[in-house]
Amino acid sequence: MSEWIAIGALGLVAVGIPLGMMAVSAILRPSVPEQGKRATYESGEVPTGTARVQINIQYYMVALLFLVFDVETVLIFPWAVIYRSALEQGADLTAVLLPMLIFIGVLVVGLVWAWRNGAVEWVKSPLANRQKTERNV
Amino acid sequence: MVPLQSQVLLPERIAGLLGLSGTVGQIVGGLLGAFLIANLLLVQTAIAGPWAKRKITAAFTDRIAVNRIGPFGLLTIVTDAVRLLSKELIIPEDVDRPSYDLGPLLVPFSALLGFAVIPMGNGIHLADPETGLVFAFAASSIASLGIVMMGYGSNNKYSLLGGLRAIASNIAYEIPLVVTAASVVVFTGTLQMSEVVAQQAEPLLTVAGVTIPQWFAFVNPFAFVLFVIANLAEVGRNPFDVPEAPTEIVAGFQTEYSSVYFVLIYLGEFIHIFLGGALAATLFLGGPAGPILPGFIWFTIKIWAFYLFTQWARSAIPRLRVDQFLDVGWKGMLVLSFANLALTAIIVGVIA
Repeated sequence: MSEWIAIGALGLVAVGIPLGMMAVSAILRPSVPEQGKRATYESGEVPTGTARVQINIQYYMVALLFLVFDVETVLIFPWAVIYRSALEQGADLTAVLLPMLIFIGVLVVGLVWAWRNGAVEWVKSPLANRQKTERNV
Repeated sequence: MVPLQSQVLLPERIAGLLGLSGTVGQIVGGLLGAFLIANLLLVQTAIAGPWAKRKITAAFTDRIAVNRIGPFGLLTIVTDAVRLLSKELIIPEDVDRPSYDLGPLLVPFSALLGFAVIPMGNGIHLADPETGLVFAFAASSIASLGIVMMGYGSNNKYSLLGGLRAIASNIAYEIPLVVTAASVVVFTGTLQMSEVVAQQAEPLLTVAGVTIPQWFAFVNPFAFVLFVIANLAEVGRNPFDVPEAPTEIVAGFQTEYSSVYFVLIYLGEFIHIFLGGALAATLFLGGPAGPILPGFIWFTIKIWAFYLFTQWARSAIPRLRVDQFLDVGWKGMLVLSFANLALTAIIVGVIA
């Protein structure tokens, strides 16, 4: 239990140090409010519109894949921990190894499916695709 | 499994020195130990950020860099700290306030928290839970959350793109990183950091009277290479610095940050590099083990070697394009890391 007390203590320190730096900076820094410099940076131009827009985030499918594989890594760790000691205690190799290989295999099949369907491809905008074909002609 | 060595952790040792015991001793010892570890890292980051980074990059590009203040320009660190902290904090229009302010706090928080379970040698080891390895990965992943908050909260298109790219890179390379770590766990049979280090102290083979320890970088060099590459992507350094990409999207998620927030983001990134180096050292390079010199010195050498490697890559390797970057992650690293895990399991199974 004491371990988690120490980790919690580091968590407190890890919040406290940034807050302390912010306090020091608040004492040191000047404040010269001015309208012009509060504009967001857009290569020196006056910003057009807001940044809260709908854009193609490109990897929506990849994010779904990530969920699958991330859960898988969680399930791999318990197996990896007991694997060697189970073998040393005389467990059958196929009984320990085969289920995990099948488990990984099923997920790899899923990855191959996603790969072939183009889920991990970078989606090009229709405009870019049209320009590419026009250039090729 | 019987513990190979019973080590006194830092909080207990501090509590013992102060003559405290029980819960009070644990809390006081924990806080003082945490403060010590955080300051060790802050000092190393202070050297790495304003000074070593400039010197290393200058050496690669045949320049001299900072040399005006103090010996070798070392006192630049002090002046830079004051300079950066005394900059005006400009909060842009229409930022999403809680998220804009919390993002820069989360990045150093997550990197520092990961160091709680890292054994640094000479008994500098804050906590040693049974799930240490997984905890370190979990803690270092919190940084992604901070980056999303920064990217969304800044109300800047470059920030938004940078934030989204950072998430794409983190989710693409985290799985190879963790799966490669799992292939080390197949050898160790435990997630406890002190045990992982202790097992690597055992001899692998003896060549001409020199005993080579069983460091997992020697046992499984392929996994080590994969881990270092995935690590490079996790800390967002070349050739994987797509989230920041100064020539494409200005500075990515940190475009709108100035003054102390800028310092905090950079602090977090450098501690993150050191955390990546510390994980690589603990899992593959025997942690603080090494001949002659004390353990803490060896640990420092190892994490600085990783830092030097990131800066070398920064100077020497061009950035990948963002779609190539995701391809390398999903089609290359992921497949290779699963192949590594399966092969490691089969080889360990056949030999054992």
